[in-house]
Amino acid sequence: DTWRYAHEEYEGDVQDVYAHKFKEYIERESDHTLQIYRFGELGESDDIMEQAQAGILQFVNQSPGFTGALIPEAQIFFIPYLMPTNMDTVVEFFRTSKAINERFPQLYAEKGLELLKMYPEGEMVVTADEPVTSPSDFAGKKIRVMTNPLLSSTYKAFGATPVPLPWGEVYGALQTNMIQGQENPIFWIESGGLYEVSPNLIFTGHGWFTTASMANKQFYDALPKQDQQMIQRASEYAFNETLKHIDGLADRSLKKIQAADSDVTVTHLSEAQIDVFKERAELVEKTFTEMTGSSGKELLMQFKSDLAATE
Amino acid sequence: MTSRQHYTSSLPGPLGWLDTTLSKVEALVLSASVLLMALNTCSNVVARFVFGEGLFVSGEINRILIILITFAGIGYAARHGRHIRMSAFYDLLPTTSRKVAMILIAVMTAAIMFFLSYLSVHYVVTTFERGRILPALNIPIWWIYIWVPVGFAITGIQYLLTASRNMQSKQDVFLSSCVTDSYDNDTPQP
Amino acid sequence: MALTLIVIMIVLLLLGFPMMIPLTAAALTGFYMMFDGIGQMDTFIQQVIAGIRPASLIAVPMFILAADIMTRGQSASRIIDMVMTYIGHLRGGLAISTATSCTLFGAVSGSTQATVVAVGSTLRPKLLKAGYSDPFSLALIINASDIAFLIPPSIGMIIYGVISETSIAELFLAGIGPGLLILALFSLYCLIYATINKVPTEEKSSWLERWQATKRAIWPLFFPVIVIGGIYGGVFSPTEAAAVCVFYALILEFLVFRSLSYRDLHEIAKTTGLVTAVVFILVGIGNGFSWIISFAQVPQAVLDAIGINDMGPTAVLATISIAFFIACMFVDPIVVILVLTPIFAPAVAATGLDPVHVGIIITLQVAIGSATPPFGCDIFTAIAVFKRPYWEVIRGTAPFIAMLLLASLTLIFFPQVMIFSYI
Ligand code: NA
Ligand code: NA
Repeated sequence: DTWRYAHEEYEGDVQDVYAHKFKEYIERESDHTLQIYRFGELGESDDIMEQAQAGILQFVNQSPGFTGALIPEAQIFFIPYLMPTNMDTVVEFFRTSKAINERFPQLYAEKGLELLKMYPEGEMVVTADEPVTSPSDFAGKKIRVMTNPLLSSTYKAFGATPVPLPWGEVYGALQTNMIQGQENPIFWIESGGLYEVSPNLIFTGHGWFTTASMANKQFYDALPKQDQQMIQRASEYAFNETLKHIDGLADRSLKKIQAADSDVTVTHLSEAQIDVFKERAELVEKTFTEMTGSSGKELLMQFKSDLAATE
Repeated sequence: MTSRQHYTSSLPGPLGWLDTTLSKVEALVLSASVLLMALNTCSNVVARFVFGEGLFVSGEINRILIILITFAGIGYAARHGRHIRMSAFYDLLPTTSRKVAMILIAVMTAAIMFFLSYLSVHYVVTTFERGRILPALNIPIWWIYIWVPVGFAITGIQYLLTASRNMQSKQDVFLSSCVTDSYDNDTPQP
Repeated sequence: MALTLIVIMIVLLLLGFPMMIPLTAAALTGFYMMFDGIGQMDTFIQQVIAGIRPASLIAVPMFILAADIMTRGQSASRIIDMVMTYIGHLRGGLAISTATSCTLFGAVSGSTQATVVAVGSTLRPKLLKAGYSDPFSLALIINASDIAFLIPPSIGMIIYGVISETSIAELFLAGIGPGLLILALFSLYCLIYATINKVPTEEKSSWLERWQATKRAIWPLFFPVIVIGGIYGGVFSPTEAAAVCVFYALILEFLVFRSLSYRDLHEIAKTTGLVTAVVFILVGIGNGFSWIISFAQVPQAVLDAIGINDMGPTAVLATISIAFFIACMFVDPIVVILVLTPIFAPAVAATGLDPVHVGIIITLQVAIGSATPPFGCDIFTAIAVFKRPYWEVIRGTAPFIAMLLLASLTLIFFPQVMIFSYI
């Protein structure tokens, strides 16, 4: 059969790499073919999610952050300093966490989706008009965020002023100083040229951009056992290959940025500086539990115990 | 296009009253939504520039207003014969053939509008079942889609009325139930 | 499948159906063929709604509203009167004033349609009285409105910028040069036309009259200052500039000139809503149509067939120009930008073309296409506003389109025309 898979990024981005590895495995191990659609081809993030729920698409990749309107608990990935910054620990966490491998599949199943894999895309990096090392440095700075209450709560807690703005206006707004900063994984800062207009890169270590690949549950459940197992193996294969791809991706992107623009500064927060921000993250945890109730609280507890087990 | 004459329904009795009232409601929704959109967007600029903090709900409010304008507007446009059409060949036809063509066009357009209305009801129900919400306003998304089937249905009814008006009248060709198909022949427009 | 859809669309269009019907019928046929029935047609509705979702789209009603307030009040006529005192007396001066007014007005308005309405309603009667033929006047108004699309702010650039992730502020700056180039070409043609047809010249204004007209126009002349200053000063985004224009227009007409009443405002806002709805339903339905085309992988097949991946930069630019120009002869410019930009994105990236340059070319092509028969939207706007038959509106357009194509060739081969860009 021809199966259809849509994701939210452009050619060569992390989700595209994952999708193509997934395709490669499926087409090698079975007679099925996989048609991949990139960002915008079938609409935006919410659109492709609905199409996957309707069964028009067999597979969809959507970041939990965008899934918030559907599964509020998925916004847990926006809570700052919930995950380690060290890549190896993060990978270990994604492999072993009960929250990710047991609790989340249930949440997705309630919405008619078979969660295949959650995987990290990269560490979030803040760019700003000057280097920032403390909440007081953030004072008075307007930082662009996606329209999401948790993200806004995060930057309020960090001392900045969150400003919701569509992605298409970010570059222009940074250029005209309408906003003074934004956050994104480093490979987006590089490919979007954001460092040209916001040259101070700050590695705050507050979070990883996480994403998830899933199937329409009805479609998946109706498949023969061997196809289901093949899809699981394909997900595992794509996951491992994607980890290889992102390992060193941040360093490569950073090198490119530094080669392209000599005004760029790079700030890595020290342990002591991070602790100051970490203290403030508790406010965001409160916002999260207010938004998600007891189910969110449970998930948060599970997350924390999983993390303790990893570290 | 700047005429101030009010729409008067071609329907008799209470149905006519309902139709005329509906037309007034549509006009009010249109003008109020457009002005609210200006106000909302400017407030966001002021809030960000003067008070340093943008309004989180601003974008979602505009999204609601765009849907309101579009789907309240298509019915209103059908009422006033304002939907864009390519009339180069149609204009060449003699009056009787134009009348037949217009009846055919109106009936088919109405049928497609009713079908779209049916599909939209289906989509609104699906959205309701999936429970998606607007993150900043925290309201269910299906609420803001309700105008979609309503707008398509009203447009369909208007085209049916157009067809019936064309069947009743002897001479004129009607673009909508109250607008005849003609160009002004005296040149400069006031 | 592509062929079936195109045939359905063209037949229904020619029969005189409202434009949303051919697009809807073709799209629903596409769904029927892809999914063997009506089971998945919900997605069409989803995409119709998604089509009118982008936040930047609010610029459309806002610019139309601002232009309408200025036209029904005094701002537009004050600007036009001022332009007339300076160049009205030249040979072809009235026609040149029309083109110049479109340019000045373009610094406020983001859409060609709004410019057709604002400049056309004021100047067309004058052009006819002065002895210009109606087809020439209509063609001039429709095509000079293209300049307004290139002079910032521009809805086309906003939408292209959003989709292609190109800086809208950079696009805005880059559009000024080509806009002025077209103004120069048109002025030259007006001069030649007036000379050949012996159109009498107007009386020359005295410097006192000029000074007075300038003084009267001083408040409206602040529009561009506010728009450009606000955007580059970081006060508001290009989309928000449209709403700020509305606000300033309201202050002028209600508080300074006292030329409008609240009743007028309701009327103007209602008309704006009506025009917006008529355009947006096409934007939405066009999006639904493009979804099924994209799902069936039609554009990729077509582009592969013509071998876009083996083309050099100039050939890619030429292909883009032709595709956008032809598409805009049939479909609304906003829809065209929405549908075609992502399709060409890989080829643009692969050939290393400057996205700003590509954006300006696309904006120009879209503007030209919008005034080109058979279906250019400015033609429909002119038919709707001036209530003239289709044929009369398009009769005089050929020379203008030729000049515009000359301008686009210049832009393709000499990107330096974009004199105000950062590069
Ligand atoms: Na403009
Ligand atoms: Na035009």
